[in-house]
Amino acid sequence: MILKFDDKIPIYLQIQNYLNRQIISGKILPGAQLPSVRQLAVEVTANVNTVQRALSQMIDEKIIVPQRGRGNFVTVDVELIEQLKMKLIDEQFALVYRQLHDLNFSDAEIIDKFVEYVKNRGALDE
Amino acid sequence: MSEILKIENLNYSHRLKKILQDVNLTLQSGKIVGLLGENGAGKTTLMRVITGVAHATGDITVAGETEVAARKGHVSYMDHLGAFSLGTHLDRIVKFYQTVYADFDIDRFNELAEFLNIDTSLKLSALSKGNKEKFVIALTLSRQVELYLLDEPFDGIDSMSRKDIINSIIKWKPETATIVISDHYVSEISSLLDEIVVIKDETINCHLDADKIREDKGMDIEDFYESLYERGTDND
Repeated sequence: MILKFDDKIPIYLQIQNYLNRQIISGKILPGAQLPSVRQLAVEVTANVNTVQRALSQMIDEKIIVPQRGRGNFVTVDVELIEQLKMKLIDEQFALVYRQLHDLNFSDAEIIDKFVEYVKNRGALDE
Repeated sequence: MSEILKIENLNYSHRLKKILQDVNLTLQSGKIVGLLGENGAGKTTLMRVITGVAHATGDITVAGETEVAARKGHVSYMDHLGAFSLGTHLDRIVKFYQTVYADFDIDRFNELAEFLNIDTSLKLSALSKGNKEKFVIALTLSRQVELYLLDEPFDGIDSMSRKDIINSIIKWKPETATIVISDHYVSEISSLLDEIVVIKDETINCHLDADKIREDKGMDIEDFYESLYERGTDND
């Protein structure tokens, strides 16, 4: 299984996040056709109704576009995908920021530490 | 979506002992429903009553049919094959199903058997617990009906067999059919479920949407289920 569910979080949201991340990371390209609902259900080991709910949510957000009789396609609006990317970055930063803030680090410290961390990571990767 | 099952004011006693009391339950078509409860809570009894193998007072409607004989044609109840001797070859059992059930789809069975790696030339006695469960699931899902009742299909089987069975349910469940899966250990199937129905104290304790439990309570299904058994806890 590619996706391991956290049973405390609604499954449809986790499927939505999983697909959003695949789109953001370019694993599924703009304009590409998504697998059928049932194929996706088998891929993530979930109920067809739950997958459909995740897809409906993504259709509402215009990230995917249904085409009658042909299935679901990723939007070709790269601006929209960019916004999705920004939203994800925001969420990740918000999480880290809140946790560090709770530990009484100042904004300046958080920025310094983060810059330092990225530098050290870079050194590790070389 | 339409109503696939409606149970009204159902009561069932066995040798003067009340097993189920005032059971009311409505299930919609196209769902996967977890039927949860402790061992002996009455899960199997409820399935037997729905199928019509056991008789209770009250009204049961399956796909619009209320008469037992008519209802049976709309329900596929997982049979643990206790009536067959261990020396019986699987292909004989498949033949038996084909003869007895007009809705048995042999093509569907062959697809399922291939997916689940079932060798039908074997005897029942040659099957491991996991393989027997797979065979039973393939038989049950090969009938073309509106309601499937799976009685503890994951009881005591290894995790690989469990995964195969779960995948076969996802792949072969007809879109408008409803599958009820009973289990006393919910976490192994919770991601698969649309809804849960809990039997406790001889009746339906709750009937809820699984993702709604996660959304509203921030709880996993196992913790929610266990919370129903903590004394003095208000679960509303």
